[in-house]
Formats: sequence, C-alpha cells, structure tokens
Amino acid sequence: MTRFLATRALQSALVLAVMSFAVYGLMGLMPGDPIDLMIAADPKLTPEDANRLRALHGLNRPILARYADWLWLALQGDFGYSRLMSRPVPDAIGPALLNTLKLMGAAFALALLIGLPAGMLAGARPRSRLDYAVNALAFAGISIPSFWLGILLIIVFAVLLGVLPAGGVAIGGGGWTETLRHLALPVATLAVAGIAGQARYMRAAMAETLRQDYIRTARAKGAGETRVVLGHALRNALIPVATVIALDFGALFSGALVTETIFAYPGMGRLIYDAVMGNDFNLALVALLFATLITLVANLLADVTYVALDPRVSFEERDA
Amino acid sequence: MPTNAYGNIPVSSRINRLGAFYPLLTARWLGLGRVWARFRTSGTTPVLLPRDRAGHGPAVGREAVGATIKTMPFSLARVLAGLLALAPVFALPLAKPAEAKDELVIGMTQFPATFHPSIDSMLAKTYVLSMARRPLTMHDARWELGCMICVSLPTIENGGAVPETIPDGKKGVAVTFTFRPGLKWGDGTPLTSRDVAFTLEVGRHPQTGVSNQEFYRSLYKVDAKSDDTFTLHFDKLTFDYNAVNDMGLLPVHLEEKPFRADPAAYKNRTLYDTDTANPGLYYGPYRIAEVTAGSHVVLVPNDTWPGAKPRFKRVVVRVIENTAALEANLLSGAIDMIAGELGLTVDQAVAFAKRHGERFNVIFKPSLVYEHLEPNLENPILRDKRVRQALLHALDRETIVQQLFAGHQPVAHTGVNPLDWIHNPEVRKYPYDPKRAAALLDEAGWSVMRGGFRHNAKGERLSFELATTAGNRTREAVQQVLQSQWRAVGADARIKNQPARVFFGETVRKRTFPGFAMFAWYSAPENVPRTILHSSHIPTEANNFAGQNYTGYANPEMDRLIDAIEVELNREKRRALWKRFQDIYAEDLPSLPLFFRADAFVLPKWLAGVEPTGHQGVSTLWIENWRVQK
Amino acid sequence: MSATASLSSTRPRPFAALWLPVARRFVRHRAAVWSLGALGVLALLALAAPLVAAAFGVDPAAADLAGRFRPPSLAHPLGTDELGRDVLVRLLFGARVSLAVGFAAAIATALLGTAIGLVAGYFGGWLDAVLMRVTDGVIALPLLPLLIVLAAVDPAKLGLPSAWAEAETASLYRVVIIVAALGWTTVARLVRATALALRERPFVLAARAQGATPWRIMRVHVLPNLASPIVVATTLSAGHVILLESVLSFLGLGIQPPTPSWGNLLANAQELVWSAPLLAVYPGLLIFVTVVAFNFVGDGLQDALDPRAIRD
Repeated sequence: MTRFLATRALQSALVLAVMSFAVYGLMGLMPGDPIDLMIAADPKLTPEDANRLRALHGLNRPILARYADWLWLALQGDFGYSRLMSRPVPDAIGPALLNTLKLMGAAFALALLIGLPAGMLAGARPRSRLDYAVNALAFAGISIPSFWLGILLIIVFAVLLGVLPAGGVAIGGGGWTETLRHLALPVATLAVAGIAGQARYMRAAMAETLRQDYIRTARAKGAGETRVVLGHALRNALIPVATVIALDFGALFSGALVTETIFAYPGMGRLIYDAVMGNDFNLALVALLFATLITLVANLLADVTYVALDPRVSFEERDA
Repeated sequence: MPTNAYGNIPVSSRINRLGAFYPLLTARWLGLGRVWARFRTSGTTPVLLPRDRAGHGPAVGREAVGATIKTMPFSLARVLAGLLALAPVFALPLAKPAEAKDELVIGMTQFPATFHPSIDSMLAKTYVLSMARRPLTMHDARWELGCMICVSLPTIENGGAVPETIPDGKKGVAVTFTFRPGLKWGDGTPLTSRDVAFTLEVGRHPQTGVSNQEFYRSLYKVDAKSDDTFTLHFDKLTFDYNAVNDMGLLPVHLEEKPFRADPAAYKNRTLYDTDTANPGLYYGPYRIAEVTAGSHVVLVPNDTWPGAKPRFKRVVVRVIENTAALEANLLSGAIDMIAGELGLTVDQAVAFAKRHGERFNVIFKPSLVYEHLEPNLENPILRDKRVRQALLHALDRETIVQQLFAGHQPVAHTGVNPLDWIHNPEVRKYPYDPKRAAALLDEAGWSVMRGGFRHNAKGERLSFELATTAGNRTREAVQQVLQSQWRAVGADARIKNQPARVFFGETVRKRTFPGFAMFAWYSAPENVPRTILHSSHIPTEANNFAGQNYTGYANPEMDRLIDAIEVELNREKRRALWKRFQDIYAEDLPSLPLFFRADAFVLPKWLAGVEPTGHQGVSTLWIENWRVQK
Repeated sequence: MSATASLSSTRPRPFAALWLPVARRFVRHRAAVWSLGALGVLALLALAAPLVAAAFGVDPAAADLAGRFRPPSLAHPLGTDELGRDVLVRLLFGARVSLAVGFAAAIATALLGTAIGLVAGYFGGWLDAVLMRVTDGVIALPLLPLLIVLAAVDPAKLGLPSAWAEAETASLYRVVIIVAALGWTTVARLVRATALALRERPFVLAARAQGATPWRIMRVHVLPNLASPIVVATTLSAGHVILLESVLSFLGLGIQPPTPSWGNLLANAQELVWSAPLLAVYPGLLIFVTVVAFNFVGDGLQDALDPRAIRD
C-alpha cells in the first residue's frame, strides 16, 4: 500500500511538472499580449508607453526564462500576482474556489441522491416501464447542451415566472435563503447531466450484478426481492459506480464554464477561461495546476476505493 | 355513484388529494405497485378517479393515465394552484414599487481588472470609478470643456494659463487650477495640492505601471501655490492645454506608504486593489463599499461630497458577460438598467425596444467610435486612390445603417464626428453610386469583365481580403453585406477573420493584413489623429512596431497640417486647418469611413437624468443628477 | 486439416454467421433501430444539402438585409436568420460540418487510442508501464480548460504556414485534432485490457509459435476481436464530440463563422434568444436528437456485440 501510494505520488508530481511546462508554453503560443488589447482601447497610449509597459510586465523576455522564474518562485510558495484580478494569485483563486464548491457540491449531491436510487430501481427491474422511463430520461439528460438548458431555465423561471434570480450571487446579507435562491437554477442545469450520468452507470452496474450467479442462488434460497437488491446486489454494484463517483469528484474543482457564463456565476471555470484568454500566465497556470492536482487525487481515490471495496482485487494486481 | 360530464366520480363533496394524485398514478403505472397499495389500504382514497373503459370502478394503469389526460384541463389548473400554494419560498416579491427606490442596480458586461485610476485603461473601471472620483476637467454632453472639481477653467485669455519658455528652449505653458471648496477624501482628509504633487511623482516613475505616461512626461512640474491652488507646467503648448481629463488624483495620505516602500511593486500593493473599500480613496458623490471579484461592486454615498447629494442610497454594479443573460436579468428585475457604454449591441437594443418599449426607455447615443476600413497601402490594388474611391461609392452605407441598426449609427464621411465643433458638413461625400464606381474602376484599368469579376490588362483579378475580428456578430454581418455589394460592381472581397487577440496583437499591429482591415478607433473630442495618420508613426520592424499608422499613409501636406493643428491656439484658425484636414481625408481616403457606432442605454421608465455624452466621458460622471420620476 | 489450423482464426468465417446474430440482437432494441434510422436520414440530408439549396434557389452565404427574420413561408420553410439567410439550408450545411467533425474526431480518437492501447497491451513490460503512466497523466488533465488553451493557440506561432492557418477548414481540423489529442484514453484503456487478455489465448500463442511477427499477429488476430468494443466506444464518443464542438463554438473557439455548424448557429442564436427564439431552438434540438441517437445506437450495439455472446 505504501509502495503504491509512493509511486502514485511520484507520478503525480511528474504529471504536474510536465503539465505546468506544457501550459506555459501553450499560453506563450497565444497571439498578442494584454498590452496590445490596451492599445486598441486607449488612443492616447503611445508606442513608447506600450514598449515600456511590456518591459515592466516582463513580456519581452523569452518564454523559457519566464517559465524558469515562475517555477523557482512557485516552489518557494510564491505563486505570483494576477494581472487580471490585481491581487495575489491565491487570493484570486480562493473566493472562486469556494463558489465552485458550493455550486458543484450541490449538483454532485443531487446527482448522487437522485441518480443512484433511480438507477438502482431501474436496474433492478430490467425492461420494465420504470427502466424505460429512467433510461429515456437519462439519455435525454446527458444529451442536452447545457447552455441551451440554462437559457431555457432562465426564460421559464426568471423571466416568465419571476420566482428565481437569473444568476449572479447574493449581494451583502440575505443569508441562506438568498444563497440558495441564487444557486437554484445553475445547480439545476448541472444536476440534470449529473443525475442522468449517475443513473445510467448505476443502472448498468445493477443490471450486470443481478445477472450474476450468486444472485440467482440468493433468490433460490428464498430471499425477498428487497433483500436481494439491497443486501446483495447493491454492494457489488456500487464498486464500479464508486470509482466513477470518485472520478466525478475531481470535476468538482474545475467548475462548469458554460453554466457559470450563462448564470454570471464567479466560479473556477470562468476564472480559468478569463485567465487563459487574458494571457494572465500566473493565474491560469496555478488554477489549471490546481484542477489537475484535484483530478489526480480523485483518480487515486478511485483506485483506492476500488481496492477497498472489492476484496478480490489488491494493489499489486491493480496495474494488470 | 353519480358521475359528472367527464364520466368521473364527482369531486365536490370529498377531500381532494390533488397534490398526491398524479404522482401516485404515475407510480402505479411505472410498476411501483407497493407504493400504490399502501396508499390505498390506508383508506385515503383519492376521489377524482376516472372510470376505466368498461365504465366500472376506478381505472388503473395505462387506462388511468389515458383517462386522466382527458380530464386534464379541469384538474391541471387545480394541481398547479395546489403546487403554487405549497411553495412559500418562491413567494418573495421581486418587483419594487418605484417610489421606494433607494437602490439602483446597473448591469454591464465587463469586470474591472484593477481599481487604480491610472494603471490599465479599461472602460469598465472608468465607469465604476467615475461615480467615486472626478477628473479636473471634462467635456460635457454638449462636447464643451468644463470644470468638474476646479473653480473655473483657466485659459490664456483669462490669465489662468501662461505660455512660457521652458529650460531647453521649447514653448510650454503653465496652467493654474483651484480646487472647488469642500473637496475631501471619504475619510475626511481634504483634497490638496500635495495629492497633485504625489500623483505626478507616481506618474513619472518609470516602474509604477501607469498607462498614459506621455501625459506625465509632458507635465514636468507642479507648483503648489496653496492648499487648493496649484500650477501645472507642461513642456508643450497645444490647443488643448487646459484639458486635464486623465489625471487620476491619488490620496497621498494613504498611498504614499506603499509607494515609498517599493515603487516597482507599487502596482501590487496599492490600496485601490488591496483595500478597495477604504473610504479615503474616493472623493466623489459615492464611494466603493464592497467588491466581489468577477461579480459585482457596491457603492454607497460619500458623506464628504460637497456637491449635489445623490438620490440613491446604494448603487450596485452587476457584471454579466453574456448579453442574453443580461437581458434576462433586466426583464426579471434583478437589474434596473443596462449601462450603454458596456451593454447590449445596437441590434439587440433595437429588438428589445420593440418588445419592451412600454417598460423601458432605450436611448441610442452615437459615439466617437469610428468604424472604418483600413487598406494596407502596400497593396498595389488599394494604393490607387481611384480604386478606393470607387469601392466607397459601391457601398450603400445608408441602407446598411437603416437595416442593421435601425438608423441609429450615423454614416461617417471622415474620421471627424458630426458632434465635434470642427466638423465640416461640406466635405466631399460618397453616396451610393454604382455607376460612378464602375466608371472609376474602368478608369483605373479594371475594365475587363470575366466571370462576374473585373480584371486588368495583365489579367489579374480585382480581388482583396477583408479581415475583421471573429466572433463579433455585427461586424460579420456588415462584412457579408460589403462583400455582396462589392460583388455587384465586380470586386472580389475574400473574408478572412481572426480572433481579436490575433487580429490586433499580430495582424494589424505588424501590418500583415494584405487587404482591408475593418475595426474601430476610439477617440476624444477634437482628437488629433497623429499616431494614425502621421508618416512618422508607421509601425515597422525597425522601430519595433511602434505607431498606429497601420495603413502606411504618408502625405507631407497631412503631416504639416497635423503638426500645425496641434499648436494652433486660435479657434478660428484651427477650424480652417481642420477643414483642410477633412477635405484631404475625404479626397485621399486613407481609410474608408463606414459609420460611427452608437451606445444603447436601456433605462427603466422611472429613472431620469441619465445623459449620455457620446464621447469618453461616461454617463456616471454626472450620477448625482440621476433621479426617480413618477 | 490439423487441430492447430482449426484453432487459427486466419480461416475466413462466413460473414453471415458472424454478423447475423448481432444484427438480430440489435434489431430487438427498438430505440436503437429508430435512432439508426434518424441518423441515416440526417446524414442523407446533410450530404444532399447543396442539392436542397439549389432546389430552393438559395445561396447559404448570401446576405439579404431586406429579408431579416422572416417568418416561415414556402420559399423559406423555417424562416430567415439575422442576415436574411435561409435557416433550413444553413441547418443542413451545419449538419454537414457537425456530423463530419463528429465522425472524424471519433474515428481519429479511436485510431489513436487503438494504436496506443494495442502496443501497450500486446508488448507489455516497460512499454506498457510508460504508456499507461502517460495515459493516466492525460486522464488527469481537466478537459475543458485544456481544450480552451489548445484552441486559443495561434497556429502561425507554431510555424505553420499561414495559408494553412487561414484556410476555411482550418478550424475544423483544429477541433478534430484537439479533441482526439485529449480523448484517446478511454479507447486506449479498453483496447489494452482486451489485448492483454487475448495475448494469452491459444490461437495467438499458436501464431507466435508459427513465427508470425508481432505486427501480423496484432493486425490479423488481435485487431478483429477488438472491433466490437472499439465500434461501441467510437459511436458513444461521436455524440460526446458533437456536444464538445457546440461548447467550443459557444466560447468562440470552435468552428469559425461564416462556416455554419450547429454549435456556432446555436451560439449565434443565443444572443438573439429574445427576438428570435426559434433560431436557437432548431440547432439545439438537432444537437439533442443527434446525441441521443448516437447514445441509443451505441447502447444497442453494446448489447448486440456483447462479447459473451460471441464465443468460440
């Protein structure tokens, strides 16, 4: 177990290092720099000003030199200053991360609370009407473009019915009710895909498990349907589903860019997008690396969960 | 049992389990039989049961659903009523009555990257900060220069401005301003000349990251005559010597410490970003009270403001980048108005006005933003003046403006805006005249028609590229129209778009666009386009692509005119020079003028006093005049 | 014939014997059959788009300012858009682009994934370990942010000639390449697992004993058995790619206008959702139907090609 964790930790560090270099390089391949966009907006900016600003922000040095500087400082814990948000990078990421956790956490929780039972019930009764209904709804849920759904929800609930805000976050006080009201529509948009996905996986896993021989044995021994489903099948069906859940957990921290754009929700997705588009190297890099780190941790969790839940599998065999 | 017209068991005399009925039936249909059975045996049988096909007892399963659907109109309304009654959490009122309006929520599409007045020029920042601070002078809605926080405008005539010879022999000017009485920073500290001196020091320091350092280079000295009177010394005498619109005053009592500690790191330490809600940073009618990055800014009245008291006790600026969501927020009441400077596009606003004209006022204000086509004059086809003139004659700009913008964006004839006092309406115009265009093109040698396009004697096709920013729907629409109108006279325009970053960052800046580049120049009232038209500002490899003369226009007479206009103090003489400037522009066509863009302000009916200016003076500079009307 | 030869899978098996049971099982899924039909109709319409345009006498790129936002009529069955172009014809041309990108990206992903998975699974050892670590690394990357970074790259800075970079189809190639570059991992893992299992099967051992080169074994013996999982994975990923393309176009990084694709038609229309809501409904509906169809077909194929049913 320790050997496994040690090798995985080493691999993760390697992935992060490669990723940081790759992203830095890719951003350097992006055209223009923010000074040019400033020129387009301000007619009084002279060319000398532009060159001076470029030198000031260090934009005229070769990319390898800039990357090396960044790496050296980052290893010492100094993640630099975000040009786009005019604050140190950790201060810029903090609030966005919190908002994203609220949004994605709620959607994730809904996906588990509704999707898993639905999938379980559908898988327990293959080819029944419940199964068809859940299957159809799940397909619909994963196929719908999220920004289409988002705008639809805004039109229905915010404009026509006027009962929920069309986006943004609560201002100042307001407490829990205000926060919940502002979260309702974005969470609904995200939860649709989440519920659909979890329901599908659970349904497939459940159906697969119920085909096993030991289930037949249990039924032959006279166990009631509830006991068979809940007592025997569920535990085994949860194994592959748990790995999927752990992988989805990783997405909790990268945010949902499209939903955040439609609902003007200041989360990690928009932060990463704005940072990348705005050529804010420091912010984009740290945010992306953070998202990668979480995904790596989630992958590790998935593997550990798999081993923990399934006694037939151990760490040594895992790689095979 | 007696039945009603639908064949149902009547409802009136029993308790109606409306809320439970439909889910139960659905549950039964889906085979969750146990749930149904439990409900039934508890004795609380729902009353509104449709009959089955044989006419007996309650229908179940598929028949129940079918029968239920038949009776839907009758009971669906009741179900909805039941659901709505059971949802108190959604019953919070959203629309506020107009008289109780204490809070104004403004929507706009961009969040400021920084709140420091001089670092990073961004319209979003200017919009928000203009509620909390004022420049010394500014052009008003009638495009006349006036004092914002000074007592009177110093001129050479009234002795407030004195031309002088500066140490190295050039001609400069000393302009004396006096602050209006009562100006205080939000924490009570008075605004004094020490703040002005400090601002100059920060502005001239090479490492602070201030954007318009040309201004601070030219302003080489400040003399403090007293606490509220000071003299600015400029090293050149231009006709706009007393227009100090861009000097962002900094509070020395707060900002001195981070500046002195390390000027190179000042832009990371300035209180404007580390402590944005500090009242001492603002002296205007409002001050910033709360900032949520990426989402909104909250402003509250500043008690120390000596001018007119603002009407609203709270102003919230909400940032929503997606314009469809912006409209949704407006319609749902989450925001009250949309800022014209950073809001909807003109055709979105036109459509909005058509649908919601009774609830909202939509004001279209043509602005200084000059949308035009810049030819790369290295291209031999476009270097010929006759070709440029012909191509302009071939465009029906009036119709474009009418069809796409409902007439709100006026056609341009030169780069000078009609609202500018120097505008010459008698300049040569290019009305839509395909015959004249054809004649000019023939004259220029493009007379051979083959396959619908013109060719010259050498067999080359009259073909060029038309490039603009990708993803800008309005520009792409205009491009399509230009392409088809040019095709009608035999010119082949090939559309090649790039994202704004590439377009401005590489293509335009390095003059690598082979044909036309379509974009807009922002300018200011009576702005002399030196960097755009003077031959010394052509960006080349040698000068590291400095300069904005992307067309490569080099006309010695134009160069002389630009130099002369800048230093001509006499208004009438200057008007004559501008007239000659516009005549040359209209004749030579260094750029093909299209139109001036308009800003669309979407305001609720109860808001009055918002005066768009059409130039860089944002409407919030006069926010103390905004009021509620019945 | 010796016993060895009968174990070899080089003797061609009758086509019908192999595929008829599969087809029969597939036909049992009504949803999958309907979906296949729907996809077929869409593909046909997409291919026939220029013919439809000619039949209506409509040029999909011509702007007609006088006829903006016209309601549906005989000449324009679905009305016109904000530039006066016929909506139906643009939807059909968009179908060409979206479906082409969907198929191309799915196939590219499958090819890349199969190649990597096959090599890793068959050769094993350190090659397998390295490739699997690389796969884990790529899986760990957050998808959408990286797509954005890759899509925003300026091809000119990469040294590509500008004629390539500015071709109308450049954005199509770019979308296909970046989607394939990040999406090959699922197929790779799938293929590797199957290849590992097959490596020990008797017919493979026999072929090795006969002196077949690894490439021949992979091509002739292993690959045909991988066909089923690859086909299923490809079908399912096609739907996913179409959704990804629509998200990228929404952000302005996918297919660039004026080339229509469902994604950028939808992105264009959502700015106008208040004045012309139907312009947003049509492309969204088409995306939805297509993705659902791909998913149903993939599901049906999965059931039909169930490896447990194809036993020797």
